[in-house]
Amino acid sequence: MKLNGLTKHIPGTVDFIFIDQSKCNRCGQCILVCVVNLWRKTNNIISFSEDYKEKCLECGACYQVCEADAIDFHYPSGGTGVIFEKG
Amino acid sequence: MNIYDVIIVGAGPGGSMAAKTAADLGLKTIFFERGRKPGEKNSSGSGLGPRIWKDFPSLMKELTPEKCPSMRAGSAARNYFVNQEGIVAGYVMARPTESVSYEPAKSWITMNCYRSEFDPWIAEFAIDAGAELKTSTLITNLLKKDGKVCGVIDEHNNKYQAPIVIGADGVVSMVAKQSGLRTKWAQDQITVVPQYDFQASPEKIDDIMGDETLAVWWSAIFPASYQVFFHDGFHQGLGNWLNKWDKNPLYYLNRVINLKYYQRLLRILNAKPRELQSHLLPWLKYPYNTHTDGIILVGDAGGFPCPLEAEGIYSAMVTGKFAAEVAAEAITSEDFSKNFLSKYDEAWKNTSIGEDFETGEELYNIWKALPFSPQETMSWFVPMFMEAMGGIYDWSQPHAKRVRQIASQIKSYMPQALPFIMKYVIPLLAKIFEEDIDKMMDPQKLMSALPKLMDLIPKKKKPRREDK
Ligand SMILES: Cc1cc2nc3c(=O)[nH]c(=O)nc-3n(C[C@H](O)[C@H](O)[C@H](O)COP(=O)(O)OP(=O)(O)OC[C@H]3O[C@@H](n4cnc5c(N)ncnc54)[C@H](O)[C@@H]3O)c2cc1C
Ligand code: SF4
Ligand code: SF4
Repeated sequence: MKLNGLTKHIPGTVDFIFIDQSKCNRCGQCILVCVVNLWRKTNNIISFSEDYKEKCLECGACYQVCEADAIDFHYPSGGTGVIFEKG
Repeated sequence: MNIYDVIIVGAGPGGSMAAKTAADLGLKTIFFERGRKPGEKNSSGSGLGPRIWKDFPSLMKELTPEKCPSMRAGSAARNYFVNQEGIVAGYVMARPTESVSYEPAKSWITMNCYRSEFDPWIAEFAIDAGAELKTSTLITNLLKKDGKVCGVIDEHNNKYQAPIVIGADGVVSMVAKQSGLRTKWAQDQITVVPQYDFQASPEKIDDIMGDETLAVWWSAIFPASYQVFFHDGFHQGLGNWLNKWDKNPLYYLNRVINLKYYQRLLRILNAKPRELQSHLLPWLKYPYNTHTDGIILVGDAGGFPCPLEAEGIYSAMVTGKFAAEVAAEAITSEDFSKNFLSKYDEAWKNTSIGEDFETGEELYNIWKALPFSPQETMSWFVPMFMEAMGGIYDWSQPHAKRVRQIASQIKSYMPQALPFIMKYVIPLLAKIFEEDIDKMMDPQKLMSALPKLMDLIPKKKKPRREDK
């Protein structure tokens, strides 16, 4: 199913996802669980999409699944981020 | 300085019930929500169970379609059984049965209502009771003095003081983390649940679904998926524990959507995808670390969703209420110690939720092993169940012969079914009926008896005329 237009965001300016490359063991679990595919592995380096503030659903699955504690996640600034109109 | 009796982080059902209860008890109460309004960050099946009406009757009688237009109650549930080939092999529709005694539950099984309507509705009661709600406000840390919790800090460094903080901030709980109660969930305590919302006209939904409100899709090719109908749309979602995914959760959800049968349902309902959501949901055998000095965790933050099917709105409301009551007692006694706040555990253990958690481990285990283990379990469960339900619809054979064929087919599933029964069903029954497992039925005896019983079904019958 096409995901275009199925999510709505008020993008904020403050970053809320961080990766610590020195802790990442490249297990790929974050890539596996993110339903909007914001994570990728290129040249054996794990990174997330630059425009994540417009796409992230704030589920926290990437953060939760990372057993190496390489991902830091907190919710975006109050009043910004994803909006679920029909949650 | 912002000084309060109690601070509540989060304005979901747990936070709002805590705020309402605290304000009703005369406490100076503030509750915070990071969304611009309560509910806009929350996604859920959004099925409200009759237990909520039972425990909160005066509140719930105010829930009307004028306030929450998406409301839809339904008196029947459907279970689809999807086989390995992705074909709906059968379905069972069920209404409340003769043994259901509580009136609302006799006429409907769940009341569904979008969280974008329900959460603001319930928050309004807290505001009316005198609690202050601060929206668009992210709480980022606990305020501490001499190592003791004394309030919270928001992202703009505004400080709010209170001797007790209730963490109603949901599954990724800042309060749990900063108070040292929990950094992260273990992978087998947490599920991720993506869901689509589809738009459909109320008339179509009524015509096609009638008074059915809920469907569960059981399958060998995806973890069980639920479908919940609202006034002008429906959710289709599925989840599993974080350590159980071998492919992206959306891959499995799309498998449901792409079923031929489902596509036909979408066509006849003239349904259009409207939103994609994803949310974590704690799913535990038993809640623990629910409080510490100056802190109580409620709802998802405390791991309270029901151990069988993770119904969590009700438990958030109940634990929110008790947390506020215990906070009020703590204020009277001027004692905010972990020891004093353990009254909270005593309180929730004594409720319907506490009773659910008494069989928590067994309920959790069976659910995890059945609908959430598509390959391991549903691959034999669906054909076995359908053999029993639908095997008889074969008019190519004499009826008696057909029954023997069905029995022998069911027998062929026993090598998988028997260990499953021994491992998951018997312990659950033993716990439910409060019988010692040995007394109820000796697993060893059962193990040896059942196959023998199955052996009674003859492989070959006496020759009869039509078989010659
Ligand atoms: C997909 C899905 C389907 C479900 N289906 C059902 C169902 O059909 N029936 C049912 O009963 N339960 C269901 N549940 C479970 C139910 O949604 C939760 O158990 C329930 O929402 C818990 O309520 P809560 O108040 O504890 O937390 P939440 O509803 O998560 O509320 C927490 C609130 O706190 C806010 N918040 C979080 N952190 C901060 C912060 N730092 N600062 C300020 N605000 C913050 C959030 O924005 C949120 O509004 C489902 C869950 C999911 C994910
Ligand atoms: S889950 Fe953590 S350790 Fe694994 S690849 Fe992602 S960031 Fe790295
Ligand atoms: S929070 Fe959820 S949606 Fe956002 S990047 Fe992480 S997994 Fe993806």
